[in-house]
Amino acid sequence: MTLKSGHLTEAHIGAALAILYLLFNLLFWVYPFLWLAILSFSDWRFFGTPSFSGLKNIYIILEDREFWGSLWNVIRFLGFYLPMVLAGSLAFAFGLQHIGRGKVFIALSFLLANVSSGVAYSLVFTKIFSSTGPLNMFLLDWFGVTIPWLSSPSMAMFSIALVVTWKFVGYYGLILYSGLMAIPTEIYDAAKLDNPPPLTRLFRLTLPMINSQLILVLIFAVTVAFGIFTEPYMMTGGGPLESTNMPLLVMYETAFSRLQPGRAALMAIIIAVASYLAIVVIRKTLEKDVGSA
Amino acid sequence: MTGFWAKLRRKTIGSWIITLLMYGLALTWLYPYIWMVMASLKPTSEIFSHGVFSGGLTLENYQFLFGSAAKLHRPFLGSLFNSFFITLTVTTSVVVTSAFIAYAMAKIKFRGREQLHNFILFQMVLPATMFTIPMFVLIKQLGLINTYSAMILPALMSGWGVFMMTQAFKGTPNDYIDAAKLDRASLRQIVFNLMVPLNKSIVAIVALFTFTGTWDNFMWPLIVVSDVDKMPLSVLLATFSRQYGDYVGPVMAGSVLQALPLVLLFIIFRRYFLQGMSLTLK
Repeated sequence: MTLKSGHLTEAHIGAALAILYLLFNLLFWVYPFLWLAILSFSDWRFFGTPSFSGLKNIYIILEDREFWGSLWNVIRFLGFYLPMVLAGSLAFAFGLQHIGRGKVFIALSFLLANVSSGVAYSLVFTKIFSSTGPLNMFLLDWFGVTIPWLSSPSMAMFSIALVVTWKFVGYYGLILYSGLMAIPTEIYDAAKLDNPPPLTRLFRLTLPMINSQLILVLIFAVTVAFGIFTEPYMMTGGGPLESTNMPLLVMYETAFSRLQPGRAALMAIIIAVASYLAIVVIRKTLEKDVGSA
Repeated sequence: MTGFWAKLRRKTIGSWIITLLMYGLALTWLYPYIWMVMASLKPTSEIFSHGVFSGGLTLENYQFLFGSAAKLHRPFLGSLFNSFFITLTVTTSVVVTSAFIAYAMAKIKFRGREQLHNFILFQMVLPATMFTIPMFVLIKQLGLINTYSAMILPALMSGWGVFMMTQAFKGTPNDYIDAAKLDRASLRQIVFNLMVPLNKSIVAIVALFTFTGTWDNFMWPLIVVSDVDKMPLSVLLATFSRQYGDYVGPVMAGSVLQALPLVLLFIIFRRYFLQGMSLTLK
């Protein structure tokens, strides 16, 4: 092989750019990664040198009812969120299929919720949900009732799930819509011969055909549930009675209010692992080969 | 207009209802925005007592934010500047570094390229929140708490940005690059005058999603900044609302300021947003 100088410098440039990326990540990714490991096994309060404390953090977290309560709250959140967001985004996707004019306007109206700022819409919904807010005034005028959207422990999580649903229905709907568009029309034509009732057609034909999009939406939804922070922080502060206390709120409080970064780091790992396991379970149980369905 | 109604009539009743329903729902989805804007333009005392569109309109909430709020140690004008400064710096850096590194990853053969690719994939799998606490420790050790650097430095490069651009750059034919090299184009010229224009939409997607992500970032600046003069708008607004939550008008005006840049970007660049959202489907 002849030494082409051009080729040589090119490879050097490539390597140099790669090294630039690696150096940056050595400082801002690998180093924190190591600290994550150190913190998890240390007793430390942000000052001095961390002292090795073995599994003490694990033991303390195992007894930390607030933290496990927050993981339970993820499940409660999903209990509200999944049915609402799945039904909503499916309806959105089907609806989008059936409109001719204004499709873009409608899609953008829903998607606008998805790009907006968490702090801004959390504040807006806090006001909309407030006891004298427009929603309760509307309910009072028409039905003579008001609902303690954010102030009652049994309602607050539902209200937050409602806001997160508002945010993601357009995005998830778009995913499902792209799946619906990919279903070959011949399949429906073939099904028409049997003329199945609409519900049978939905559950036996349409939903299995968009299985992979549904799973993607489920995975996104579960990831959101574990990673939610701004909404409960802004709207309820985790209350009332810790009913909307989410894992990241507990992690934040543990690190910066209780000054226990070691425990908080370990919590972060547990949250990530739990989220990962949930996704694996979804994949294993629901993913199937469309060809055989 | 007549064409519109003719079209509607030709449709079945069912899809007629669906269309109307979808318009209704779309307006419902927009309602929080409409309410926010209207509330920001009313005196606080009238927000809850009047309907959305009734009552007089005023700019007093905005005047309050940019005037008297500073006396309450809530410098909103400064925080708006902070938000723009941080977000634009991060976005520019991410786009430029991603473009160069992605060019190397997609078009230059060098040792360890595969490993770097795998490293980036691994980085993208792990959730960022796992790194929040140890990243805080690092920023503290570097003595950067309460500085712009704390919010900018960790975000200067993005594995996601590199990944997205690499995937796109791979599709650019090598002939273009070879031709540019024959013309003795420099690396900078190849990246900026060839790769970026040829992959305009993916570059736009990386820029837009980095911008919205950084502008909307809340937890990280909340953790590393307590000095009101350094706060981005998101955090200042949150602290203001905690302390002066009864000032509904100003809080809504602040929310408008926080949401407006993202809404405008979305409306102007909706094509790229839609493209970007459907890219994640693959």
